Amino acid sequence: MQILEAAERNYVRERLGELPRAVRLTLFTRDGCEACQASEQLARELTEVVPGLSLQLVGEEDRELVQRYGIDKWPALAVEPAEAAGPANGIRFYGFPGGYEFDSLLEAVRRVSRGEPGLGSDLVQYLAGRVEPLRLQVFVTQTCPWCPRMVQLAHRMALASPRVRAEMIDAAEFPRLAALYGVQGVPLTVIDGRVRVVGAVPEGRLLAELLRADRRGG
Amino acid sequence: VGTVAVRTGGPQAPISADVVIVGGGPAGSTAALYAARADLQVVVVDRGLDAGALGQTGIVANFPGLPPMPGPEIVRALRQQAERFGARFLTGQALGLQPREGGFSVLTSLGELRARGVIAATGATGRAPAVPGEAELLGRGVSSCATCDGPFFRGRRVAVVGRTEEAAEEALLLAHLAEAVELVVPGDLPVGPHWQALVVHPRVRPHPRHSLKAILGDGAGVRAVRLRGPGGERELPVHGVFLYLQGRRPVTDWLQPVLAPGPDGCLAVGPGYGTAVPGVFAVGDVLCTEVKQAVIAAAQGAEAAIQAERWLRGRSGPRPDWR
Repeated sequence: MQILEAAERNYVRERLGELPRAVRLTLFTRDGCEACQASEQLARELTEVVPGLSLQLVGEEDRELVQRYGIDKWPALAVEPAEAAGPANGIRFYGFPGGYEFDSLLEAVRRVSRGEPGLGSDLVQYLAGRVEPLRLQVFVTQTCPWCPRMVQLAHRMALASPRVRAEMIDAAEFPRLAALYGVQGVPLTVIDGRVRVVGAVPEGRLLAELLRADRRGG
Repeated sequence: VGTVAVRTGGPQAPISADVVIVGGGPAGSTAALYAARADLQVVVVDRGLDAGALGQTGIVANFPGLPPMPGPEIVRALRQQAERFGARFLTGQALGLQPREGGFSVLTSLGELRARGVIAATGATGRAPAVPGEAELLGRGVSSCATCDGPFFRGRRVAVVGRTEEAAEEALLLAHLAEAVELVVPGDLPVGPHWQALVVHPRVRPHPRHSLKAILGDGAGVRAVRLRGPGGERELPVHGVFLYLQGRRPVTDWLQPVLAPGPDGCLAVGPGYGTAVPGVFAVGDVLCTEVKQAVIAAAQGAEAAIQAERWLRGRSGPRPDWR
């Protein structure tokens, strides 16, 4: 079954334009995972539509790559410049990147290709001064129109700094993890597993929460 | 997963226009009218007839040239007039603004709208958490998006508070998922199409003329809501509370970080309603206009459209090139 219909293929072409630099999707799958099959299908179709976009498939048995990319849930998708030895950045999608999050996937491809994080100077300065790694887990549902705003902000931070891991996590696909963080509304961003940020917040507000998390310490 | 739509609704390609107007109240609709009459391609994105301040007003008796009529009917008349000159109205929500080569992308719940100029007319019906318990329980059972968060409350009891068509639509969605929906309506039950379906739904219990006094809960989530109605105060046990209430805050979140409001929460403009970002204009209640009247918002919309048209033409030269 084809996922992208003709109109959606057109949308993708228009949305991405020509990629100035080739981009690689690395998709981590495993057996018995329905969302893995759908993600693989979607990723394959995208590579057919977008010149300069390639796909690398990694099975669960390839432990070295799984470990190197820090994958702990399936399906997982990384978006990187094609020429880079992976992992080149911390952009991750956990779960099928569909519904409203399809736009986050296209945006990740677009920004990685252009190497444009497009962050405000305050966040850039914060990231430049940060020594420790930073993990942003953004819980979403595919029917949430606000969620891509937060996912894309987190992904832009991962593009700006190699120390940032920015993960879109489909709360419906990973209900136990969502329950662990008490997710009852999305988007919900968890900073370093400790501080919850509710809603799609602007950059300034996220920065304030990051500073708050830093003050609290580990 | 295979049945999940890759994209949820929306246009099948990014829509391009000369001007995208966000908000279709008196300011936005009048801007659309003037821009469309100036032969610009105009797209207006708006949340619905009753989403803004005028749409929530009962009878308006001081709109020049019109007999006393309900606010939503005036909004409808303004839109129809703009549509007759070619303006296109879309029902959706603006989520973000991004500069792009030669203009802007307005990111909406319908997808991407591209334009060379943008007029912000989003009004001032935003609100900050005001009900006791609301701020603390946001994201722990308090929500304003059933489409986003409804699945977390499958088979549980929820409350929906509001009286707009959006509230009714979201309550209907929840009625399919939840065990029961306590429908809290400040004032009498509205009569719109979704409301008629709601009040006869077996899992919906309407509470007209009730207001929300508090949301009760703890770190684990929402436990109950406290309501006040004609019969006094009472508590209803629920796990989720979906709020569709309107306040008086300018709606500017979709513009950030490209354009930030001032310390008063309002957008600042120069002469001709241009903002600090060339090509982005702002009109209506999203500004701190001292007198908030539909006719003043409409006049601002007219002037902004005229200025936007000049700006667009000035940059791109003669007509055959800019169409």
